[in-house]
Amino acid sequence: MLKTKIKISNLHEIGLLIALIIVLTIFSLTTENFFTQRNFMSILRSASYVGLIAFPMTFVLITREIDISVGPAVAWSGVFFAILIKWYDFNYLSAGIIVLAWGLFTGYFIGIARTKLFIPTFITTLALWSALRGYSLFVTEGRPISISNKSFRSFYGGDFLNIPTVTWIMLLMFLVFWFCSRYTVMGTNIYAVGGNPKAARSIGINVDRIKIITLMITSFFSALIGILYVARVSSGNATTGEGMEFDVIAAVVVGGTALGGAVGTMTGTLMGVLFIAMISNGLIHWGVDPDLNKVVKGLIIFLAVVINSNITFKNNSGQKED
Amino acid sequence: MSILQLKNISKSFGAIKALDDVSLSLNQGEVLGLMGDNGAGKSTLVKIIAGNFKPSSGNIIFEDKEVEFNKPMDARNKKIEVVYQDLALCDNLTAASNIFLTREIKKNLGFFSIINFRKMYEKSKDIFKELKSETLPDEEVRMMSGGQRQAVAIGRTKLSKAKVVLLDEPTAAISVRQVAEVLDLIKRLKDEGIAVVIISHRMPDVFAVSDQIAVLRRGNLVANKKANDSSPEEVTALITGAKDRA
Repeated sequence: MLKTKIKISNLHEIGLLIALIIVLTIFSLTTENFFTQRNFMSILRSASYVGLIAFPMTFVLITREIDISVGPAVAWSGVFFAILIKWYDFNYLSAGIIVLAWGLFTGYFIGIARTKLFIPTFITTLALWSALRGYSLFVTEGRPISISNKSFRSFYGGDFLNIPTVTWIMLLMFLVFWFCSRYTVMGTNIYAVGGNPKAARSIGINVDRIKIITLMITSFFSALIGILYVARVSSGNATTGEGMEFDVIAAVVVGGTALGGAVGTMTGTLMGVLFIAMISNGLIHWGVDPDLNKVVKGLIIFLAVVINSNITFKNNSGQKED
Repeated sequence: MSILQLKNISKSFGAIKALDDVSLSLNQGEVLGLMGDNGAGKSTLVKIIAGNFKPSSGNIIFEDKEVEFNKPMDARNKKIEVVYQDLALCDNLTAASNIFLTREIKKNLGFFSIINFRKMYEKSKDIFKELKSETLPDEEVRMMSGGQRQAVAIGRTKLSKAKVVLLDEPTAAISVRQVAEVLDLIKRLKDEGIAVVIISHRMPDVFAVSDQIAVLRRGNLVANKKANDSSPEEVTALITGAKDRA
């Protein structure tokens, strides 16, 4: 039989698991209200919003691309959703479908710009980052667009079986993405594209198609989170999701995905998401100023990349050019 | 039996004549060493056989039938495989995943199908056993030696049941110890009746495995003779132009 070996990715995940336990212990021992069911649900909820975008983002990073438009995309999707319902009398379902379709279209646009016009995804999504936030603020004049629907709010913004609904969705999506990354041809092709794009192309994998699909899925989930935020706060706000792209990318990178592509796992990302959410939450319990909270997060992502690149680069003799 | 014949192949890029009236014949189980200096036309010739370029004039005859390769897939469908210098491997995938890339064995689970890793590992194991290589199917390629990487690349051609294998500078980027492994693999391909074309700068490697030596100089075929009847000295002279023809 084939013997099992500890791979680099496993090494990273074990380290991250230990870090998670240490952080959990420290916060639990040093604060009163951290280790409570209520607080855990709060951590899980914020982790779930980030996680739902972090899973597809993991694929995007593996294929050597990036989407930094997450925060504004979430804000615009929520605003768009609220506008459709409040100003144009759409029902919730059709408004949701239109917003999700918009999400897919945005991802398609980013992908086409990358594969046909050779514009780096960083640039396209940077442009979107600015444009979507600006347009959201413009159409709403900076004011929330409130909509109220009790059942929509209590289900999608609330709990199901005592656990946030968004957490259920996140866990389900984790399973889907984990499965896809490990057991499907699509998952293998995503890794192949990240590992050696030239080889992938020469062997007959449609590299462009793979990149477009991963970008579309990411934008789709940004749109979904936009809708779920509206459910949570009963209004579309142009200012939601500020800095969310940072949390998402930080979680993915802390989870062991290399910014240079090729390396990364869904379990790592899940742990990275929990890690970031736990730190953010714990620092609030410590009474750390929210602005300093950002400084700490900045340090964490830097350290994570230092550790990560030292593990991966030492073992990576592969070529990096596209 | 001749499996692949090139008849009067010429290829021009604008005013530059990369290949001029080159005719070659390749037999089953024969290793052809294709030699020449940089820019002599070796890689152009390989790309014509592999379907990357269409010749400006001349014919390709495969198994006694004239063929036309418009794209690499056409050549691959005729069981002509190229192992590129960088081996076209994905470092982040296992050996088995690399061998089966785009040809994965799937298991049908009703409304969708998943990759059958167990079958792929088993088949890869058999392939490595045949190649007498100690490569583990479930190991990531990034951890492998140059010789093992070669085995994975050649495993791909075995899986596709290749009839002609083109090796582009197979011994260029690996250590001396690994070169021996690769040359051994080439001999084994030959023993199985596969026709092999090896393109290389390294004279001793070419002479170690080749039956036939062809030398290109400035797009012209200046020699095509049995390796036994030639010598490294003669080939060097042919490559540099010190000797005009042989």
